[in-house]
Amino acid sequence: MNSLSLSPSLRRILFEAIILCALSAAVGLSLNFKLIFNAFSGKSVSTPVIAASVVAEPAAENSVTADVFPVPVELDELDDLLSAGALLIDSRNSVDYQTNHLAGAISLPLGELDQDLENFKKEVSIDQTLVIYCSGYGCPDSFDLGARLISEGYTDVLIYEGGFPEWRDAGRPLAGGGK
Amino acid sequence: MTLLGKTVYHASRLGLAAVFIYAGVVKANDIVVFAGQIANYQILPYSWNYLVASILPYLELLCGILLLLNMRVRPAVLVLFVLNIIFMFALSSAIIRGFDIDCGCFKPDSANPTSPLAALWRDAGLLLLMIVAWFLRDLKHPVEAD
Repeated sequence: MNSLSLSPSLRRILFEAIILCALSAAVGLSLNFKLIFNAFSGKSVSTPVIAASVVAEPAAENSVTADVFPVPVELDELDDLLSAGALLIDSRNSVDYQTNHLAGAISLPLGELDQDLENFKKEVSIDQTLVIYCSGYGCPDSFDLGARLISEGYTDVLIYEGGFPEWRDAGRPLAGGGK
Repeated sequence: MTLLGKTVYHASRLGLAAVFIYAGVVKANDIVVFAGQIANYQILPYSWNYLVASILPYLELLCGILLLLNMRVRPAVLVLFVLNIIFMFALSSAIIRGFDIDCGCFKPDSANPTSPLAALWRDAGLLLLMIVAWFLRDLKHPVEAD
């Protein structure tokens, strides 16, 4: 055991190094607590604008994945979902979509849903797996759109909370006219 | 300590201070972009990139300031040494996996990105400066030695 024990001076240096880390963590966390909170609790930030009771009713009958709210998925789960035929939906506005979007995604902006919904329902079957994204954590559009689609009877609605920024930062393929 | 030893010690300390104060300030200036650069390494889960990006710049800044002030040099060097080793592992992992990314070492949206290989060499140089500062600090302040 003696050979493993540290000298007092080294112990002091280690202790001071830990204090430095703790101080920096305290400063960083207090200055950026909102950002970190958003990143770690996307669901609570992305509070749906639609009442849960409205959303829950149609989904409850035969839903496997959809509960009251859309189900969040992570980036590493997307590959399996997409190769199994999930449909990627961009809920951001159409300008953002045209500039850049996840390769393979279709556009269904939350703000234009009322005019686009009928066409969408004609083209996309009710049991199609939908993966909706917007501009990352803190962006509520994907969640709100997911809730609307569940209320319209879609049964397998998932939310990719990392959204466009996570996908882009991970070096995944993009499409659109932007750089 | 000889004049040469003192000169080398202060040059190492001030060099490290300049590098890490600059790195800390530019990263702290845009945490979100820095988080994106950490995410490029595809090592941490998405949320953890934000956590690391929120703390790391301040750790670099604090250690840099201590080195500049010639205070708590060895604890600061120890922290930066461990950080540097972690950076080097991350860079090596990016090289092995063939990622063509900006290292994210300094200015997040730099027009001239630094490749992981170049960053790895630079980190090796910084590691050398840290070792020099650690041991010469030991000679300069024997009380810190055992």
